[in-house]
Amino acid sequence: MALVKDNPKVITSSKTSSSMATEKPEPKRPLIRVADFDFYYGEKQALFDINMDMKENEVTAFIGPSGCGKSTLLRCINRMNDLVEVARIGRGKIEVNGADIYDPRVDTIELRKRVGMVFQKSNPFPKSIYENVIYGLRIQGINKKSVLDEAVERCLKGAALWDEVRDRLDTSGLSLSGGQQQRLCIARALAVEPDILLMDEPCSALDPVATAKVEELIHSLKKEYTIVIVTHNMQQAARVSDKTAFFYLGKLIEMAKTDEIFMSPKNEQTEAYISGRFG
Amino acid sequence: MAKESKSGRYDLHSRRRRVLGLDKGQALKGLFGGNALVSVIVLALITFFLFKEGAGFFGQYRHDIELYRKSGLEYVEIMKKETDSFSELNRYLNSIRGEHASVLKERGLSFAEAKAELSSYEDFIYNFEDLGYPLREYVLEMNEVAIGARNMFVEASNYREHRENLLALGRDEEAAEVEVLDVDLSVFVEMIKEGEPDFLALNDKVAVGIIRLTDDLPTIGIEKLDDKMQRFKELALMFVSEMDGYETRLAEWDPQEPVGMGSAFASFVFGKDWVTNSSIQDWYGILPLFTGSLLVASIAMVIAIPLGVGAAIYINQVATPAEQNFIKPYIEFISAIPSVVIGFFGIAVFGEFVRQASGWAIFSGLDAFPISERLTAFTAGCLLALMAIPTIFTLAEDAINNVPKSFKEASLAMGATRLQTTMRIIVPTSLSGIISAILLGFGRVIGETMVVLLCAGNRIEIPDFTDGLATFFEPVHTMTGIIAQELGEVVNGSIHYRALFMVGMVLFLLSLLINYLAQKIVLKYQVSRG
Repeated sequence: MALVKDNPKVITSSKTSSSMATEKPEPKRPLIRVADFDFYYGEKQALFDINMDMKENEVTAFIGPSGCGKSTLLRCINRMNDLVEVARIGRGKIEVNGADIYDPRVDTIELRKRVGMVFQKSNPFPKSIYENVIYGLRIQGINKKSVLDEAVERCLKGAALWDEVRDRLDTSGLSLSGGQQQRLCIARALAVEPDILLMDEPCSALDPVATAKVEELIHSLKKEYTIVIVTHNMQQAARVSDKTAFFYLGKLIEMAKTDEIFMSPKNEQTEAYISGRFG
Repeated sequence: MAKESKSGRYDLHSRRRRVLGLDKGQALKGLFGGNALVSVIVLALITFFLFKEGAGFFGQYRHDIELYRKSGLEYVEIMKKETDSFSELNRYLNSIRGEHASVLKERGLSFAEAKAELSSYEDFIYNFEDLGYPLREYVLEMNEVAIGARNMFVEASNYREHRENLLALGRDEEAAEVEVLDVDLSVFVEMIKEGEPDFLALNDKVAVGIIRLTDDLPTIGIEKLDDKMQRFKELALMFVSEMDGYETRLAEWDPQEPVGMGSAFASFVFGKDWVTNSSIQDWYGILPLFTGSLLVASIAMVIAIPLGVGAAIYINQVATPAEQNFIKPYIEFISAIPSVVIGFFGIAVFGEFVRQASGWAIFSGLDAFPISERLTAFTAGCLLALMAIPTIFTLAEDAINNVPKSFKEASLAMGATRLQTTMRIIVPTSLSGIISAILLGFGRVIGETMVVLLCAGNRIEIPDFTDGLATFFEPVHTMTGIIAQELGEVVNGSIHYRALFMVGMVLFLLSLLINYLAQKIVLKYQVSRG
């Protein structure tokens, strides 16, 4: 199951990492490291020289105006950009737990099991709630009923959805409300026990009540997962994140603790964006 | 305008130009509405026309069958069935001798030696054949009587009709000249019925003869053939025991028993014979044509479904854009080939190829091969598959393409492989679309005419489904084929003409059903998407 077959630096599973964290609270180490990263769509450069670290069990928010490259960077972290025909890296690398994810020997399937993703628009499969949650396990060939039952309960509880749907696990995932669907997608992502959760504007299609629930969820998930969230909503970034990164025109303008960036941004552009003068 | 309106009141009257009181929007609406209306009217006319022309069929057919009964032809037919199965026994016996001859030839015996060997049981065969002669002659004689009676009756009613027509036109003199015989069918039937004791006596003789002959079965000395000889004995004794059945049917037969509309209907829907222009009796049973159509269509679908759906999945999920740009138009181009050209190709190239290929060594283990026919259900089925593939491919590809991209992304983001994503998410989600694509492909195939007319072999017979693989290599006829072939040469308004319209109606209803099902399934598909 090694990410890189002959690389000793194997990404550990979430269980061991969390237990390690409780045993010896060592200083948080960077789990995702982006170094000198350039990225292109065809001839058009989308990301310029990005350098950043995202630490274990922290929530990092990406903010910035539309088209600034924040979603692009997010999708680079689990290589979803591979689906785009013309996408390519110019320079630099991204490391996840010490492994260079763009190494040609990397199997994207192994990577994506460890780096889960929640999308902007909730996209449960047209299957039952139960089957939605365990999809990731089924594709790994796990069919044992007791294991699956346990996973469904654990993940739905983890996604704060269990109490709402426990009586109707056989109904279609599409029958849920928008907010519930999004939490179902989070539960689905949790089932494969990733270490990292990438969230691409997970609340943009939700009403304020549903948004509050998802934000609450992000808070509680932080204990076990490292979360990167892209958001257009500045208040949301302020509420949920530990660190905030501001992007503009494909460049990382400023990254700091969330409090600092909202209270006393160092960069003029950041300040202009946060205070609503453009964007 | 805006400036003006500020000063005074708004002028909101239409300024669009009008032609014949219609502005451009209304004219366009009228044009499109008119087009839709025309197609609705045409469809209604076709339906009405089919019903009108076909409707008279059952009445006419019922009348026909009634005449068949009243003239005693039905009675003769029962006897004829008996003699037919006797002839079958004869054929079986002769086939044993034929097989024996070829075995001897393989052993290298000279002609004279072989002949001597075969003659040892020649008498047995001749004696057996002779048993049947009086019976057959008797049946032929009765057949003549019944046919004569029927023909006289038909002629008489034609004259009567002619006279009535003349009277209606007021040409009384001419009408008086028309002589109309009064044909009483019951007289003839009596005549035939009177012979029944003779027939029973002949039957007894045959039964006794068979028992006596088979008691002393000749032995050939080759195990396989002796087994067959034993089998012959079983069949012959079975025939004897069946004779009682024929006799009771003859005794129970009643010429006056009325023929209901139901039996005319059953005779059409479940009839195993489609016989036209027969000197004895015409039969219009759709079953051989229906099964033929179904067999050909099934063969086509078995080939076209995996290819069409497989290609759709490949193009949509796996292929590179370059492959897509090459393969997609190519497959869609197939549907541009005129069906007569495909049929021509089938006759000239493909049929012959299949026949030769069936002789290849790799097929030697199969009983059904090599095949002797060039034009078979299989030939037609393969070519129809070619025509169904573009339909299935295009529609299935649409259905797969309609699966939201987010499903695929979500699946891949969970660490699923491409194959897993395709098989667990894409295909199940688009399944109803794929099924309706298959149904529409089926509709295309069942309605196709030219290819089956040219390549299916056109033998009107229900394929023998007990033959295993060989079933697919028999010539068949189809519903579409028979209409194309026979409609040109039937008398307008005759029963044959109406029968063909009924076949057309069955086709029409079948297509309607298929399209309805396809639509239903697509509808369900849209709902399930939410």
